[in-house]
Amino acid sequence: MSRSISDSDLVSTFAHLGIDRDSAAHYAGRLEHLLLINRCGECSTYHHPPRPMCPKCWSTDVAATEVTGDGVIDLLIFLHQGPQAPGVDYSTPYPVASVALDEQAGLRFTATVIGSPNEEIAIGQRVTLDWFDRAGVPTPAFRLVGGAA
Amino acid sequence: MSTSSRNPMKDQVAFAGAATTGFSAHNTDRTPLSLAAEACSKLLRECGLKASDIDGICGPSSVSAGDLQNTLGIPELTWWSNPPIPFVNQVIQAASAVHAGVCDTVLVYHVPYRHAFFTASALRDPFRRVMPAIAPGGNPDTMWGPIGYTAWASRYIHEYNVPKERFGLVAINDRSNAQDNPGAAMREPMTMDDYMSARMVRWPLCLLDMDVPVDGADAFIITTTERARDLPFSPVMINAAVLGMVDANVEDQTVSLEHHGHHVVAKALKAKSDFWIDDIDVYFPYDGFTIITLNWLENIGFCGRGEAGDFLAANWDAEKNRILINGRIPVNPHGGALSEGGSQGSGHIREAIHQLQGRAGVRQVANARRTMVTAGGFFYNAQGLALHRD
Ligand SMILES: [Zn+2]
Repeated sequence: MSRSISDSDLVSTFAHLGIDRDSAAHYAGRLEHLLLINRCGECSTYHHPPRPMCPKCWSTDVAATEVTGDGVIDLLIFLHQGPQAPGVDYSTPYPVASVALDEQAGLRFTATVIGSPNEEIAIGQRVTLDWFDRAGVPTPAFRLVGGAA
Repeated sequence: MSTSSRNPMKDQVAFAGAATTGFSAHNTDRTPLSLAAEACSKLLRECGLKASDIDGICGPSSVSAGDLQNTLGIPELTWWSNPPIPFVNQVIQAASAVHAGVCDTVLVYHVPYRHAFFTASALRDPFRRVMPAIAPGGNPDTMWGPIGYTAWASRYIHEYNVPKERFGLVAINDRSNAQDNPGAAMREPMTMDDYMSARMVRWPLCLLDMDVPVDGADAFIITTTERARDLPFSPVMINAAVLGMVDANVEDQTVSLEHHGHHVVAKALKAKSDFWIDDIDVYFPYDGFTIITLNWLENIGFCGRGEAGDFLAANWDAEKNRILINGRIPVNPHGGALSEGGSQGSGHIREAIHQLQGRAGVRQVANARRTMVTAGGFFYNAQGLALHRD
């Protein structure tokens, strides 16, 4: 898949997230505000984090495929301290959620939650995907939709 | 695949001894190598072994086998390895090498160390800052590594409606036990109020839900049971030892608290060992985070799903303010990772050996003959060890 960014620039943009050739397409997608999750061309199973082979059928025909990012919060924590990151000071505890994506049972994606006070964020709530810029780099996040699921 | 009961190494290999430097929750002015050398030389003297009696070395990668050999002047090795922690991995590799005949007597070591990643005060030590980083930094949007335990603690509370005080029983048990361990890093008594008011680090886990970063070292001798019988202390035989991992082993992709590495360990250890939880005299569940201990108690079969907190309350020794399962089985009598210090399982195994050798001092469990260590966490490092003596 051709990319509009050089490998060198892509790697330097996402080096702190542990980018490698297997996850390069996922990170390149972020630059276009696309959440791309590896999906098997043979058996249609999604998996994450990106692997070079489908864990279900061993096909190497896996491609980073756009998902909606809609889902339900399965795991939720609030960091009262954590790694240095631009725009994060932890004086308000920083939410991190693993969301069960609607596309496939058990498939989760982890990101922060934006747009709601911490008191309103809870396990079981429906969320949708959103994006914000961290040091100029598009970063996926979740936003609450409606009431609790 | 079905769980195999094949176990040709059973009781053929034993611990001949164990020793420790004791643990400190403050930065020492010591290198990991210096701490390892102290524990190892102490143990070799206690066991009456010379440097030339050792032909194998095994420990974590933070101290290379070559550097330790060179420091202790061990003339010749026919086997060495520096596999990843937790520490049952070192034990299995060393025991397997002995059983296979690659070597006869292995010096096994671990060095819990206050790496710069762990604490702000460790980060202030310039010598620690220049050590290789052991964890990625700069990304808060992850459930990586230790953060994953917080995530699943939050899920556990959500699914089973467990009050936070139940987690506190794990921490208080360790602290009460540590008061009898002069080598423990944290020995001041802990009340439930202390626990509940501790600083929140990653909600829902607070500082006292997390193990204490320490400087220290443990050393062990692993050899044939036959050879161990000629040494001063009674052999502690390895009846069964396993690791456990499932395919969904990434923190945020773990299927559930009912399907992870613990369950593989429980099944395999039961299939390979000659005794089980009702037969043991003292129990060593891992406690790097309180949630791991609660889940081990359930996964090894002491109680049902979500019931560990109630189980601890029902098996509480009010007089000593600690766990005593069925009025009989102490849990982590050395103080565990939460109070003796975070040792990635080596402290649990060292205390298990001392208990079975009758060398645990005021902490001695009367007539301790059998024990189990269930080390490690949920994702990629669950481990089990069944130990006994004659
Ligand atoms: Zn497939």
